[in-house]
Amino acid sequence: MRVILTLVRKDIANFLRNRAAVGLTFFVPVALIYIFGWVFGLHQKDTGPTGIRLAVVNASTNPAAQKLVDALATETAFHVITTRELPDHTTRPLAEADLRPLIHDGKFRFAVVIPADVVRTDGIGLHLKILSDPRNEIETQMVNGLLQKAIFSHVPELLGQSLQARARGFLGEARSDQFNRSLARAITTAFGGDPATVQREIEAGGLGLGTLAQPAPAPSAAPPAPPAPAQAKGATPVQAPSAAADFLSRLVKIDQEQVVGKDVRSPLATQLVGGWAIMFLLFAVSASSAAFFDEKSSGLFQRLLAAPVTRAQLLWSRFVYGVGLGLVQLTTLFTAGRLMYGIDVFGHFGSLMVVCIFAAAACTSFGMFIAAIAPNAQAANGLATFFVMVMSATGGAWYPMSLMPEFMQQVGKLTVVYWSMEGFAQVLWAGRSFRELLPVLGVLAGITAGVMAIAVWRLNHKRMFE
Amino acid sequence: MLSLRSVTKRYGALTALDGVSLDIARGEFFGLLGPNGAGKSTLMALAAGLRSPDAGTLTLDGGVVTPADPRTRTSLGLVPQSIALYEELSADQNLRIFGALYGLRGAQLRRRIDEALAAVQLTDRRRDPVKTFSGGMQRRLNLVAALLHQPKLLLCDEPTVGVDPQSRNAIFDYLTALNRAGLTIIYSTHYMEEATRLCSRIGIIDHGRIPALGTLDELLTRLPFEEEISFPATPETAPLAALLGADGTLVSADGRHRFQPRADFRLSAFYTRAEALGLPPRLFTAARPTLEAVFLHLTGRNLRE
Ligand SMILES: Nc1ncnc2c1ncn2[C@@H]1O[C@H](COP(=O)(O)OP(=O)(O)O)[C@@H](O)[C@H]1O
Ligand SMILES: [Mg+2]
Repeated sequence: MRVILTLVRKDIANFLRNRAAVGLTFFVPVALIYIFGWVFGLHQKDTGPTGIRLAVVNASTNPAAQKLVDALATETAFHVITTRELPDHTTRPLAEADLRPLIHDGKFRFAVVIPADVVRTDGIGLHLKILSDPRNEIETQMVNGLLQKAIFSHVPELLGQSLQARARGFLGEARSDQFNRSLARAITTAFGGDPATVQREIEAGGLGLGTLAQPAPAPSAAPPAPPAPAQAKGATPVQAPSAAADFLSRLVKIDQEQVVGKDVRSPLATQLVGGWAIMFLLFAVSASSAAFFDEKSSGLFQRLLAAPVTRAQLLWSRFVYGVGLGLVQLTTLFTAGRLMYGIDVFGHFGSLMVVCIFAAAACTSFGMFIAAIAPNAQAANGLATFFVMVMSATGGAWYPMSLMPEFMQQVGKLTVVYWSMEGFAQVLWAGRSFRELLPVLGVLAGITAGVMAIAVWRLNHKRMFE
Repeated sequence: MLSLRSVTKRYGALTALDGVSLDIARGEFFGLLGPNGAGKSTLMALAAGLRSPDAGTLTLDGGVVTPADPRTRTSLGLVPQSIALYEELSADQNLRIFGALYGLRGAQLRRRIDEALAAVQLTDRRRDPVKTFSGGMQRRLNLVAALLHQPKLLLCDEPTVGVDPQSRNAIFDYLTALNRAGLTIIYSTHYMEEATRLCSRIGIIDHGRIPALGTLDELLTRLPFEEEISFPATPETAPLAALLGADGTLVSADGRHRFQPRADFRLSAFYTRAEALGLPPRLFTAARPTLEAVFLHLTGRNLRE
């Protein structure tokens, strides 16, 4: 044991003398965790994308279409552009014909065209045109999602109008009128209200249930009821913004309950810290194992083995060193995570240390494996860089695994990175007890044992320690 | 003290040591003289228990030397052929690590390190990283690093390669003093001057065999001639060189021919021939043969090929 401690001390002294290694192990990941905190918006109070430039051309006279434009304008994720500046510094509204060249020039990457026939008559649904330069797929998906959200929550009557138009197509004008009238009558019989008003609402796509949103009072007796002025002017009925949306939200009432991670500011923070930590730990232990080659070629192994030191002690001292380095590095980075993002490191300190030890052991075995299969130090460094990058990408160190295709997610589960991060998440995010951690610890221990077995076999086979 | 009995070591198809038998007595300063690739380092590695022989046995003080048993190692020290030091670390740190591996601790370790550094004049550089040392200083440190635990047998594998004359002399003086104090030394080299100057007994090694073994005088008396003659290799001496092949061995290197006559060849005949070819006597130098001549005689090759 003394021999191993001496050898470990030797590795530590060498590490501390190597400024580049110390920087790469501690300072670079802390810097990256900080920088990517900005990228993921962890430093701001409210997260989510902001200021995506979105051009909107409204060719429809439907008042609901204008409401959609207004709704998009209030969405913080979007910076809505509706006009175009001409060379003489005057502006005019954007036209659909402008969009393609402007997207091409990179003025914006997304544009929505609300055509004159926004309400489809050939089927149930809306007709919107979205032009995009999907340079960034994640962004594109996000923009689509936000557009749908804006339509559902702000202008559901557009969908209602589409239903109405479709019904008219099927039933004919007279019968559809009659249907609406009887529907309005049925509603007012059941819930009260003026049948004529309700019928106008239904025809405007409001499903006639707007009145239900306002509890009880009859439309005539309710001064604040938004539909009233519109009706009074006899203009096209405009549904109160909230009414139909509110109705929809009643139809699908989602009670959200966050089951895990209540104490943590963001799961992304845990993921961010754990991911970068594991990646740089893998680099550190690979470099340490690649040092085997230098010790061999410089004759140091001869010197050490001529002393009362066995090959096993040489090997396992490097393992102990790797685990120790990993433990110190992970603790340092999580402490940085605590200072930057409030990750609850000290609340689960014991469990976290256990996971860190197991993760560090698995990473160290990986470093040994690289040294075992590589023919020389350069090859070891190259292989390590390649494998660490691949494992970090597929194992979810850089971005959430749920963004990846199913198949890649399965591949990712074969990596040390995935299981280490799973361990961190279970402790820091879900606050699992030690017992609940056992499966993850078992997997990490299994990886360590398996990979070390192969590494030891290969190292002996190629006479590394002779 | 150290005995090799018919020791053979192969690396794949290559036989690095070929049935070597050798006995090193306590207190000897034994030289292993041979060119690169002769098998010197392989013999050192086997003696240090770093590798096991494919055939034959090695015993140290009666106990078999094997890689599996680290306990007999405390009685021997190995100075590897390459500079086996942690070059980022200071001289002090290196010595502390190697001393600790032999179980030295605390005040005893500190004292041994102080003595070792003083012996090779590195005391005032002890805190500097080894990589800032000159080649000679690194060699000196490489040497004392094998001596902290006070071994009984020191294996020095070409310890002066790439060393300035000053460091070389310091190393020679130190080793001689240690040997006088009772340390048994096996010293490998491809410099015959080193073997001549240092060693009480010399083994000539080539292609994994030891064809001759003995003191310097014993080796020299094995030669069938008392003097060898050297002369410049020029066009005008070429006819003479062509004549000599039948009368002994002629080796050419560095622009000179060296002629080692056969036992029955009379030197007067040589000069008669030279005169007949019109070559003046001042071209020829006759000299007492050296170890190099022994090597040449035994192997037909120069030591430094
Ligand atoms: N690890 C090895 N693998 C294969 N061949 C080796 C190895 N070590 C030495 N050799 C070969 O064995 C022969 C003897 O080498 P070595 O003992 O190093 O000679 P020396 O030290 O006298 O120069 C050389 O031909 C060398 O190339
Ligand atoms: Mg050698």
